[in-house]
Amino acid sequence: MLSRTAEYLYWISRYMERAETNARLLDVGYRMSLFPNPNGYNNEWESVLAAAGAIQGYKNKYNIIEQKKVEDYLFFDEDNPSSVFNCILNARSNALVVRTSFTPESWLAINKTYQEILKLKNNNFNASDLPNLTEWTIEQVNLFRGSLSSLLRNDGYNFLYLGLFVERADNSARLLDVKYFVLLPKPQYIGGNIDNMQWSILLRSLSSFNAFRWAYDGNVTSTKIADFLVLNSNCPRSLSFCIQNIVKHLTNLTCSPEKVNKIYNTLKDLNTKIQEEKIESIVDFGLHEFVTQFINKISSVDSDIQKEFFN
Amino acid sequence: MFNEMYQSESLIRNHYNNINEWLEKMTAKVINEKNAEAETHFRNIGITFSTNSETARERIIPFDLIPRIFTFSEWSKLEKGVIQRAKALNAFLADIYNQGEIIKANIIPKELIFKKKSYEVSMFGFTPPRSIYSPIVGIDLVRTNHNEYFVLEDNCRTPSGVSYMLENREIMMRMFPDLFHTNRVTPIDDYPTRLLQTLMSLAPIKCNTSEPVCVLLTPGPLNSAYYEHSFLSDQMGIEMVESTDLFVEGEFLYMKTVDGPKKVDVVYRRIDDDFLDPLCFNPNSVIGIPGIMDVYRTGGVNICSAPGAGIADDKAIYIFVPEMIKFYLGEQPILENVQTWSCDKDDDLNYVLDNLSDLVVKEVDGSGGYGMLIGPKSSKSSIEEFRRKLSANPRGYIAQPLLDLSFSPTLIKNQVEGRRVDLRPFCLMGENAQLSSGGLTRVAMNEGSFVVNSSQGGGVKDTWVLAE
Repeated sequence: MLSRTAEYLYWISRYMERAETNARLLDVGYRMSLFPNPNGYNNEWESVLAAAGAIQGYKNKYNIIEQKKVEDYLFFDEDNPSSVFNCILNARSNALVVRTSFTPESWLAINKTYQEILKLKNNNFNASDLPNLTEWTIEQVNLFRGSLSSLLRNDGYNFLYLGLFVERADNSARLLDVKYFVLLPKPQYIGGNIDNMQWSILLRSLSSFNAFRWAYDGNVTSTKIADFLVLNSNCPRSLSFCIQNIVKHLTNLTCSPEKVNKIYNTLKDLNTKIQEEKIESIVDFGLHEFVTQFINKISSVDSDIQKEFFN
Repeated sequence: MFNEMYQSESLIRNHYNNINEWLEKMTAKVINEKNAEAETHFRNIGITFSTNSETARERIIPFDLIPRIFTFSEWSKLEKGVIQRAKALNAFLADIYNQGEIIKANIIPKELIFKKKSYEVSMFGFTPPRSIYSPIVGIDLVRTNHNEYFVLEDNCRTPSGVSYMLENREIMMRMFPDLFHTNRVTPIDDYPTRLLQTLMSLAPIKCNTSEPVCVLLTPGPLNSAYYEHSFLSDQMGIEMVESTDLFVEGEFLYMKTVDGPKKVDVVYRRIDDDFLDPLCFNPNSVIGIPGIMDVYRTGGVNICSAPGAGIADDKAIYIFVPEMIKFYLGEQPILENVQTWSCDKDDDLNYVLDNLSDLVVKEVDGSGGYGMLIGPKSSKSSIEEFRRKLSANPRGYIAQPLLDLSFSPTLIKNQVEGRRVDLRPFCLMGENAQLSSGGLTRVAMNEGSFVVNSSQGGGVKDTWVLAE
C-alpha cells in the first residue's frame, strides 16, 4: 500500500469521527438551551465551542455568542477547519484520491454525504432544524462505518480504524476535560452526588447515555461516570476502549513490523495501566492531570504513526 | 443527412426496432424519473468534471437515455479499420525514432517530423517493448452515410473517455434491464481486464516476473479526467500514484509504500511528456520523477504511452496516415481520412482563404473544440477575424470540409429529436491488437450543432454493438 494511501485512509476516518463528535456537541448545546438555567447565565454555547476546540476561531469572527451563529459556525462554516461541513469536504477529497483502496460502498457513503451537505448548506436552515442535522450526520457516519465491514482486512482497514480510534480517544478525552471544568468548577463537588442533567449531557455527547444506565446501578455519581468514560472497556467511547483498539489495529498491521513495534513500545505502558487502574486513584491523582497526560500521549502516538508510515 | 435510426422518413432500421417500441412506451414521467436517476447516479459515483464555478463545484456531462446501436457487421468493419490504423501509427513511431524509412522514401517531409515539439529527441534509437509506443489508441470517427466513416483525429498519447463508455453501460443496465433481455448487446465490462493484460504484456526487459507491477500515474485530483484515473486503477486493481509517490534508485523505479520501496515495472501514465522527468524534459516542472527516463531507456521500467508518442496524432501528420498504412502494412486503408488542407502550403492556404465560409479551420495544436472556425455556421465578422489569424500564422492551421455528421435519436425535452454524434472506440495494442466492443458516443445536444465536445454542450450516450 502506498504511504500516501495509508495517510489518506487514516485521515478519512478521523474526519468522519470528528464530524460526528461536532454534530453531537451541537445537539448537547441545543438540549441545554431548552432547560431552564439555575444560575440565570447561559454559557452552554460557550462550553460547546470550548469542547469543540473552536472558541478562538469563533471569537475571531463573532463578538457575541448566540445559538444560530454557533450552529452555523460548527456545522456549515468553511472558515472553521473542524466544521461538520469541512470534515465531510476533507473526508471526501481524501476519499476521491483513495477510493480505489476501499469498497465502492464506502466511497458512495462519503460522496452521497457530500452531495447532500452541499444541498443542506444552500438551504437556509432554522435553529429548530438542528436535531435533524445532528441525526442526519450520525446516520451518514454510521453508513460509512457500516460500509467498512465489507472491507478486506488488510493494512488499509487497520489504518482506517487507527484513524478512527486516535480521533475518538482525543475527542473523548477533551470532552471529559472540558466538562470537568465547565460542569465541576468546585473541588468539593468531586466524588459527591451531582447534578444529573449536566452529567447526562456529557454522556449524551458521547452517545453513551442509555449505555451508562445499563452498565451501572443506583445513583449517578461523578465517580461512576468517570469510571465509565475512562476505564470501562465495554464502553465504545471510553479512553480504555480507544487505547485497546489502537493497540489492536496497530499490531494487526502486516507492514514494517519494526515500525509497529517501535510505536507499540511507547503505548504498552499506558495500555496496561489503563486496564489495571482504579478510578479512585485517578481521582486522587487528579482527573484533569490524568486526562492531560492521556491527550499528550495520544498526540505523540499520532505523530509517530504519521512519521513512521506516511513520510 | 444520415439518421442512424431511420431508413427513410417513416421506416425504422431493423436493429432499432426494439428501441423504437421501448421509446413509444415511455411516458414523459418515466423519462423524467430516469433522467434524474441517471444524474444522481453519476453524481454519487463522482463521474464529474471539476469546474471553477463556486456554486456548481463539479459538473456532470449530460447523458442521453437512447443508446446508439451498431450491427455486428457495421462494427466488424470499424474494428478492422481502427486496428489497422493503430498498427500503422505504432509502426510509424517505431520508424521515425529509428531508421526513418518513411522519410527516406519521401512520403513524409522530414521538417514535418523533426521540427515538431512533440518529436522527442531523447527517444531516438530506443525501442520500447514489443515496439509498442502507443498501447491505447483512441480514434475519433464520424459517420456520414450508411457505409461511410471518416477519421477525424487519432489520439495516441492518453485518450480519455473510456470510463464514460463503461459507466454509461452500467447505468443503462441498471435502469433498463429489460432492454438487455430483448437486445443482444456485446458486453464491454472486460475492458479494464484487457487493459491490464495489455500493460502487463509490455513489461520492460529487466522485469523478471510473470506478473509485472503496473501503476497508473495521475497528475492528481485537479485533473479533469481524475475520475477516470481512479476508476481504471480500481477496476484493474493497480495503484494510482502521483509523481511524488515514485522515485528512482539505481536501475529501477520504486513507489513509496508502508512496507518500504516497491519496484514498479509498467507505468500507465496519464500525465504529459513535459511533466515526466524534470531532468529530461521541463527543468522547471515541480512534478515529475527525476531519473525515470534513464531507467526507461535502460529497460528498468516501461512508460505507456512512450514519451514522444504524441507526434503520431499531430494534426499535420494526420494527413499522411493513409500513406502510412500502405507503406508499413502494404494494405489499403479501410477507414478514410477527411480531406485536409494544411495551411503551411501556399496552394492550400490560398484555397482555404478563398473558401473560408465553407470550411472548418482548426488549430494544429488545438483540442476540445476550441479555437476553431466552422465556416458555414459563422458570422461574416468572425470569418474575417479568423482570416487575419490564419494569414498571420498559416503553419498553425489546417482546414477540412464541414462533414455532415450522422444524426442519432436523442431525447430533448422528452421528445425524440435527431442530434449529431461522433464515436471514439478504444484500441489496445499489446501482445494482441484488440478493439473495445463499443466506444464513447458523444452527442451535440444543441439543435443544429456540430460540436460534440463536453466543454461546449456535448453529451454522451451508451454505445451498443449487437452480437452476431
